Amino acid sequence: MNARPTDVVAFLVRQHAEIRDLFAEVEASEGSAREEAFHRLVHLLAVHETAEEEIVHPYVRRVVDGGDAIVDDRLREENEAKQLLSDLDEMGPHHPDFLKHLEVLRKDVLMHARAEERYEFIHLTREGDPARLAKMTAAVEAAEKMAPTRPHPGVESATKNVLVGAPMAIMDRARDLIRKVMGEDK
Amino acid sequence: MTFNPLRERGIPLDDQLRTWRELAVMPIDPDESDPYTRCRIITMNGLETEAIFFSHNMARHCPDVEMKQQLARVRYIESQQQKAVNWLLPGLASVLETTIAYEQVAVDLTSWVARMEPDPYLRQAYEFGVLEDFDHLYRYANLYEMIEHRRAEKIVDGLTEVMPGRPTYLQHRHPVDNVRQNYDRTVASPISKLHALTIMSTEQQTMNFYMNVGPLYMEPIARQLYQEIGMIEEEHVTHYESLVDPGETWWEMLLNHEYNECYLYHSFMETESDPRIKAIWELHLNMELEHLGLAAEAFKRFDGRDPEQVLAPELPVPVTFEPNKAYLRELLATQIDYTTIGTGYVQEAHERFEAMQRAVLDDEKPASEVVIAENAMKSGHEYRLETEGPHPVQSLRTNRPT
Repeated sequence: MNARPTDVVAFLVRQHAEIRDLFAEVEASEGSAREEAFHRLVHLLAVHETAEEEIVHPYVRRVVDGGDAIVDDRLREENEAKQLLSDLDEMGPHHPDFLKHLEVLRKDVLMHARAEERYEFIHLTREGDPARLAKMTAAVEAAEKMAPTRPHPGVESATKNVLVGAPMAIMDRARDLIRKVMGEDK
Repeated sequence: MTFNPLRERGIPLDDQLRTWRELAVMPIDPDESDPYTRCRIITMNGLETEAIFFSHNMARHCPDVEMKQQLARVRYIESQQQKAVNWLLPGLASVLETTIAYEQVAVDLTSWVARMEPDPYLRQAYEFGVLEDFDHLYRYANLYEMIEHRRAEKIVDGLTEVMPGRPTYLQHRHPVDNVRQNYDRTVASPISKLHALTIMSTEQQTMNFYMNVGPLYMEPIARQLYQEIGMIEEEHVTHYESLVDPGETWWEMLLNHEYNECYLYHSFMETESDPRIKAIWELHLNMELEHLGLAAEAFKRFDGRDPEQVLAPELPVPVTFEPNKAYLRELLATQIDYTTIGTGYVQEAHERFEAMQRAVLDDEKPASEVVIAENAMKSGHEYRLETEGPHPVQSLRTNRPT
């Protein structure tokens, strides 16, 4: 396995790459393989966005000149993407319109990720405090490692989303975990 | 089916002007489009860029106001064509992804040209050059994995292999040895002239691209790699431009430029997989036919010759983007250790080459080597995409003793 980057920007950029590749995987697979890849995508997206909202955006608001406006733009993109993700998750990978909606989400997420890299992360690298950035990495990493809630084998009913963990539920759990890690030595 | 662009009528020049709305083309999808569609876009951008700069240069040497006005009118349209073509590239792609696509163009376009080139001396020039761009692809792919954490196969899509070519550090040659012998315009076949113009134009655009985007990177290794490969691209422009006969008049050069644009747009119209982009190639072909007609008239008037004397009677087979894996492996196996001496080639390092190497490298590893070592350290392996088996050169296989 690859060595993990220690810089939070490198870490988040790596997640962007993984997300992009996961979209391709979901699209290319079928049946249960698609379902499985889609769950990984939902999990990674939920964890990633939560980490950015909890850790990166507040820091940028605080230390970057014009940071509020930059973060507001990003949050607007994120909220759109979150809504799409929730709808898509509810719809499930077997719905006939799934791929059409996935495509819309993919484009939104890619554009959002590129905007973050160009207009937000660049300030972290320029103006961020290295010790603080390293600490952020630890929190993002902990959230990423948070065990995904897996569907119970054989569960095919309409209640499965509850068991799998809808995006909002994953975000709640990630938020708690991140706050715990970041709060250890405030 | 034969197609003689001199006999075809295009769109009248006055009808070629486009509005801003028409120029606001929708970009291709960075993940889902045919990689060779992106290669065709990059190639045509190279040709249009050359068309614009050539026309500016010609205007600066043109004493006739009326002709300068005609050049300006056509150039304005060429400039719109360049915008319509290059703006097909997506802003979603990173600069490094576009760079990797530029090197995929260099590899598969130069390979195709080398395979089709009838003149052995010219063919050798392309075979020599392609092994160097092939190596650049491998270096940039490692930089991509290192800083963007993504694998270049997502970009080249398995159509082009990614592994070492002639190592970049061995490409720093004495400038004198970069100048080739030119073809003789009176005996060279028309296809040879078109090949030289195509590769010169695309390499020149690659040089322009690297010299401008390189400093926009913040990572020192990225900045240094663009600098190092940017220097090689200048050597390549010198190498390829010197193949063209400098005895061609301005009017003959203009004629060749316009003809070559017709050739490439026609080729891409014939081979394009994306119908939306194909329509753009077709539209631009119909514009170029008119530009060619105007250049032909000027050629008759100022050179007093018939364009059919210097141009091909019909368009050659379409320039085609397709995998060249076996061809490249054969070149790697036989020509990896070539360098140039004067206007020729040798297999051993010579005194002037070694002096140049010492002068620029100063016994330190350049960025092209450091990027591989650093990526191997960060990612746990160096990046390669060897779809057809291990590297044909034993000493360049992975896990080789260091």
